[in-house]
Amino acid sequence: MLLLSFFHLFLYLSSWTWRTSATSPDQEQIVRDFFGKDGSTSTSGHTNNWAVLVCASRYWFNYRHMANALGMYRTVKRLGIPDSNIILMLADDASCNLRNKFPGSVYANPGRDLDLYGDNIEVDYRGYEVTVENFIRVLTGRMEPSVPRSKRLLTDERSNVFVYMTGHGGNEFLKFQDNEEISAHDIADAFEQMYQKKRYNEIFFMIDTCQANSMYSKFYSPNILATGSSLVGENSYSHKNDNDIGVAVIDAFTHYVLEFMEGINKTSTKTMQDLFDSYDVSKIGSHPGVRSDLFNRPLDRARITDFFGNVAHVEVTPSIEAETPAFVPPTTPGQKSERAIPSQSALPSLTTSQPLMDMRWLNNWRVARAWTSVALLGALIGWVGLQK
Amino acid sequence: MTLMSSSKTPSPPASTLNFSVVLSALVAARVALTLTGLPDVLRDDHQLASPLTSFSQLQEGIYLFNHGVDPYSGGTFRHSPLFLTLFATILPNSPRICSLLWTLCDGLGAWALVQIWRARQNVTSSERDGLIAAVYLFNPYIFLPTLALSTSSLENTLMLILLMFAARGKASPALLGLAFLVHFSLSSIVLLSPILLLLNTDQFSHLASPRPLATSIRKVVPLLGEFVVYFCLLALSSTLVSGGFAWIPQTWGATLMLPDLTPNPGLWWYFFTEIFDHFRPFFLMVFTVHLLIYIVPVCIKFQHDALYATFILLGIVGAFKAYPTLSDPGLFLSMISLFPEIYPYLRHPIVTSLLHLHAFLLLPLFHHLWLNQGTGNANFFYASTLVFACANGAAIIDCLWAGLRIAIGKPVEGYSIVQE
Repeated sequence: MLLLSFFHLFLYLSSWTWRTSATSPDQEQIVRDFFGKDGSTSTSGHTNNWAVLVCASRYWFNYRHMANALGMYRTVKRLGIPDSNIILMLADDASCNLRNKFPGSVYANPGRDLDLYGDNIEVDYRGYEVTVENFIRVLTGRMEPSVPRSKRLLTDERSNVFVYMTGHGGNEFLKFQDNEEISAHDIADAFEQMYQKKRYNEIFFMIDTCQANSMYSKFYSPNILATGSSLVGENSYSHKNDNDIGVAVIDAFTHYVLEFMEGINKTSTKTMQDLFDSYDVSKIGSHPGVRSDLFNRPLDRARITDFFGNVAHVEVTPSIEAETPAFVPPTTPGQKSERAIPSQSALPSLTTSQPLMDMRWLNNWRVARAWTSVALLGALIGWVGLQK
Repeated sequence: MTLMSSSKTPSPPASTLNFSVVLSALVAARVALTLTGLPDVLRDDHQLASPLTSFSQLQEGIYLFNHGVDPYSGGTFRHSPLFLTLFATILPNSPRICSLLWTLCDGLGAWALVQIWRARQNVTSSERDGLIAAVYLFNPYIFLPTLALSTSSLENTLMLILLMFAARGKASPALLGLAFLVHFSLSSIVLLSPILLLLNTDQFSHLASPRPLATSIRKVVPLLGEFVVYFCLLALSSTLVSGGFAWIPQTWGATLMLPDLTPNPGLWWYFFTEIFDHFRPFFLMVFTVHLLIYIVPVCIKFQHDALYATFILLGIVGAFKAYPTLSDPGLFLSMISLFPEIYPYLRHPIVTSLLHLHAFLLLPLFHHLWLNQGTGNANFFYASTLVFACANGAAIIDCLWAGLRIAIGKPVEGYSIVQE
């Protein structure tokens, strides 16, 4: 009796393990095929993009940090991430600072060509709200219920998140607001919480501070790609001063990254490897680093727009009359391709004439209906008119 | 002597000439106005075109219809399927040609108004014809919606034509016209009762000598039956063209359920933006019943002069209907010209006209301030619609009073009129 129940248990357990182990890679393969359809080179499995852009330092002389964050904000918006998917944290208000000779504007280059502030930006955390606690709450999603949606990072399992941080930093720390600091361990733990709560598909972490590469040295969660502006023991330098504003307006690393980004648009197929290859130590003034051991895809297959943009792939299906009731997904977002590709559905190709004939018949029926109706009205009016 | 006799020679009948001249001149001026850029500016103005009458919605519905999509499947097309029929087949669709059509309809409406006047006065022509046509065509409440190609102008013309037939005693055309009108705008069902009364009595002015209704009510039943038959035939035609019954909740349902809260000069939209959903059915019922409760009292009180009862109920519909435009109260104001006998008894015509002037200036101003400039809010525009309602109400009350006061006679020295 006992032997029989043991045998049943063994049978049940073995069938269960066999089923799960047999089907789950199969399902994963189906999902991968879905995203890798029609020969697109990108292999990312994300469906939406988010960005968290943090400028952690305040005071007028840290104008360049705010310009860094705003430059990234502009780039990310230009490539398609909407305001609802961007958390912008600026620790101080450079544009409306009393010392700003050009109030309402923030510039990132000495000639003042491009106003990064303008009148269409949305700053989610401003001034004293930019704290270590709020940053970690944003990442982990553990907030009071009263926090509004615009201040939440509402990512899911298929979100690619771009985290950009700038400010004053040192060996494994970043200074917030001149009175507190976040350590590399804190960020690593926050990312691990995000991994456990399935809050990201992939993270791209970029940091522009002194000794920046130390900040990503402690990450231990999968699917994180990180880059920093300088080695441990090295400073990161600002790029240029503007003589009328009076302070440095941009940092060198961010400046050259943004310059690279100006050549990117939504249809660009440039990869992260191209970005990292563009780093020029002599121009930047420090040694930028890259950490890709936690990143599962090869860097030359990961596109810039996987992280910086929000590019939707469009698939054009045949017209409605020709479709069978079988499900054909109209879009596969997350892939980047501006070419309109007819979907490979299982329709026989010889019946293109039939749907056209249906269309024509429908057309004729509709016109007949309209004219019959008019004739009815005309008959009514005529009959009434001819009556005495 | 010869000089005197030459001065006594009757002048040639200037009245008919006057009327045709006025009519053609004003219609031509209207056509000239449509060739300027003004109609494009006015096309989607909220005071001139409601969601039920806007030309843009009509064009969209016809486009959808011509491309095989049911125009009543979404919530944008609320015109009657009869409009769909006419504009998808025989009538043109482009704004330029439609401007011409609308202007001609207005001219037709002015002509019909003059015919009603002539029927009421029992003359073939009179010297006031030109004045009446001018009152209709010059009225900004009438010509601005026409420029904006709002279908409420077509409804006005239809109303005047059917009143013309009713005033001439021709029952069938009047009832067919009313059936059409109810299909276009459900609130016009209020006018069924006075028109049936008008068809049973005569169109002459009996305001000064009220008598109880001489004919029996039973004679109304065959007319009512005829109306129902026409109504059902038109419903059949509508169902045929729209390919189903989806048009009923989209067109008539819009008047009853108020799904679209676009601002208009009426009183319903603001109220229904602010009430809780819990009370919505109750207040929809209240507002609808409010339109219906006036029918019986007005018809009873003016049973001696059914055309006047129609006139008053037109004013009430214009003031209180669900999706009014400026043309609905405009028709009421223009029709005051048909009843000169009440002018001496109007108590506050100047106040009414100043209220109307006030509302006419404030409505577009506050609308612009709220929706274009952004420095005002909805309350501004709502306040101006309240002033407009006050103006309409003042006009209706004054006409009611004068219509009843005329029966008492001229004021006599030493006597005052009191209510028992």
